[in-house]
Amino acid sequence: MKKPTVLQAVFYAALLAALLAFPLVVKGTFPTHVMIMVFLFAMMGVAWNILGGYAAMFSFGQAAFFGIGAYTSTILLMNYNVNPWIGLVAGGVLAALMGAAIGIPCSNLRGHYFAIASIAFAEIVRIHFNNWKFVAAAEGLSLPLLPDSLKNFMFHSSKAPYYYIILVFLLLSVLICWYISTNRMGFYLRAIKESHELAKGMGISFVRYRLYAIMISAFLTAMAGTFYAQYILYIDPESVLILPISVQVVLVAMLGGAGTIIGPVIGAAILLPLSEITRVWLGYKGTGVDMMIYGALIMVISAYQPQGVWGYLTSIRRRAK
Amino acid sequence: MHGKRSRNLSFALALLLSLSLTSAGVAADQEIKIGAAYPLSGAIASTGLDCLHGAELAVDIINGKYPDLNLPLAKSEGLPNLGGAKLKLVVADTKGEPRNGQAEAERLVTQEKVVAMIGAYQSSVTKTASQATERLKIPYVCSDSSSPTLTERGLKYFFRVSPHDAIFARDQLQFLKDLEKAKGQKITTIAALYENTEFGSNVGKQILKLAPEFGYKVVADISYAANATDVTSEVGRLINAKPDVLMHASYITDAILFTKTYKEMGFNPKGIMTFAGYIEPGYLPAVKGDGNYMVVRSTFALDLAKNKPLVAKVNALFKKKYGIDMSENAARSFTAPFVLADAINRAKTTEAEAVVKALLATNIPGDQVIYPWKGIQFDPQSHQNIHARGILVQIQNQNYVTVWPFESAAADVIWPFPAWKTRK
Repeated sequence: MKKPTVLQAVFYAALLAALLAFPLVVKGTFPTHVMIMVFLFAMMGVAWNILGGYAAMFSFGQAAFFGIGAYTSTILLMNYNVNPWIGLVAGGVLAALMGAAIGIPCSNLRGHYFAIASIAFAEIVRIHFNNWKFVAAAEGLSLPLLPDSLKNFMFHSSKAPYYYIILVFLLLSVLICWYISTNRMGFYLRAIKESHELAKGMGISFVRYRLYAIMISAFLTAMAGTFYAQYILYIDPESVLILPISVQVVLVAMLGGAGTIIGPVIGAAILLPLSEITRVWLGYKGTGVDMMIYGALIMVISAYQPQGVWGYLTSIRRRAK
Repeated sequence: MHGKRSRNLSFALALLLSLSLTSAGVAADQEIKIGAAYPLSGAIASTGLDCLHGAELAVDIINGKYPDLNLPLAKSEGLPNLGGAKLKLVVADTKGEPRNGQAEAERLVTQEKVVAMIGAYQSSVTKTASQATERLKIPYVCSDSSSPTLTERGLKYFFRVSPHDAIFARDQLQFLKDLEKAKGQKITTIAALYENTEFGSNVGKQILKLAPEFGYKVVADISYAANATDVTSEVGRLINAKPDVLMHASYITDAILFTKTYKEMGFNPKGIMTFAGYIEPGYLPAVKGDGNYMVVRSTFALDLAKNKPLVAKVNALFKKKYGIDMSENAARSFTAPFVLADAINRAKTTEAEAVVKALLATNIPGDQVIYPWKGIQFDPQSHQNIHARGILVQIQNQNYVTVWPFESAAADVIWPFPAWKTRK
């Protein structure tokens, strides 16, 4: 990994400063909401990338981890009065354990088969929650409204605190992903991705490293789930456990560039505002035009730039050199 | 621009004389913006659009002059107490997702400056949208979401005009009681069958809770996934339980599947009482004559016009504007704008606290609503309309006919159902 140049350092510093200033400068709650959604899905995209991008385990079941995170912290808060921050860690740990539990039988599966298994897993979780009386089944849970405070992880008067929290979560995820990709684990995962047999021959325990990847990914995704619950204050299986969430996470990562650290962030920064803005501009007419534009863009990018937007940008840069 | 300004100016001048008596919080030429959030794209976009059309027609009637319509504020143009100010719907698409309900409610209030909200159809979306308006202290009048939990939250700014699933369930049981009395039918046992998402399981819960209160014994309690492709085991359990009456909460595809399976397996209770799926526009074309005799809960039917001429007049306006008859969805969403406009007009301002106070004092008489209700008055605690109730329609000769309440019925209910074997 090269050290960033001065120019790059200045650029990233300016970007960070702009992001920090955003909720203070921009008026109205809606732009802040869109940014929060961008960061939320960017974070899940980064978490997916550890699995799909580096370890070639194409998970279409991230919604299960997201939902487990959302439900764990919410149930702990509602039934046992546990602080949501502790709930966040508990949800992460539970999701990681669930990840490990399905990872052991599934980590030998390759490509499509892992994808199919992950969908099946997430659907089992969804159906289970839909019928599980303890978590209010299909009715969903409305979080109790607590006073504004960082300790309560709840803010009613402004969205800015939510914005900063999810920004920190995202930066944390990016750092973890960067750390993995530049360390032994990242090299092992990439070796496994290239060839199972080769990696095995080199003495890499690929089950173990794949398990690590699943657990880290699940933990981060569950954190995002807890954030969602604390932000929206209402969860039900239809809003946190469904397949479209898993698909959107994959889209974010693939569109931005799978297997790169910053790719999913770029993917989310394009996809989420696009879906929100087309909905606001065109959705109210009830013609479905917003969905068509959204779909067409995804098709264009996947047809012409399967490496994702980040892949496209780096290829331009290489050509320019 | 000039034209508009001079028109506004003359309008304002004309009002100066009358304004001395009123203390309007809104300038005469100002529009009163109402946010309307509906699922306008995604799986149930057509339903969302249907709802929106109902609300749009209501706003037209409030803003225009309709001397022959006995509806609140129909006879005057705009809101008289606010100098004839007109309503404007600011429409938003939720895609049917709860997180968009919250985001759109916030956007409509903070950016579009709406003073009140209506809509969202799906109960889960209404939940997050009304939570957002509660935080922002903006009144929300809902007439299209039916989850009982919405009015159990104790929100200060949220009001519901339409009946919820517990009321619907109670109506169905009340119908059975009325039937026993009026027709000398003997009913002792019922079976509850419901799909397992929020809607169905809520209805199931209500039936199980209420049936004993009405003196009925629940002999089967069966839940299933609405996307099931085979329901022979469920129907088998029903046949074994031998209930007098089946109560079935379903969406449309499962309603069709169950109807076919009832016929195939010869499930013959005295009556089948149903919710939702059996009244969707696609149900009858799929099952044709096999749908006959099913009793479905509803809030509205066009044949209510028989006892209520207002229904025919409103439907004529709807048909003129959109080219189709008013559906139950459109009819439900139709009422919220009237309730809001009436409250704002009485409050003489759009200021939220005053509007909430006026909403609590709402008393719209029964002859000014298009359903067979005694009127609209809100419970001071839950903010649920205490007069809201459903009607029951029965499919007779492949038509939906109102059969209950008996005093609003367009035809007699056919009971017990003829056995499948004896049907032509």
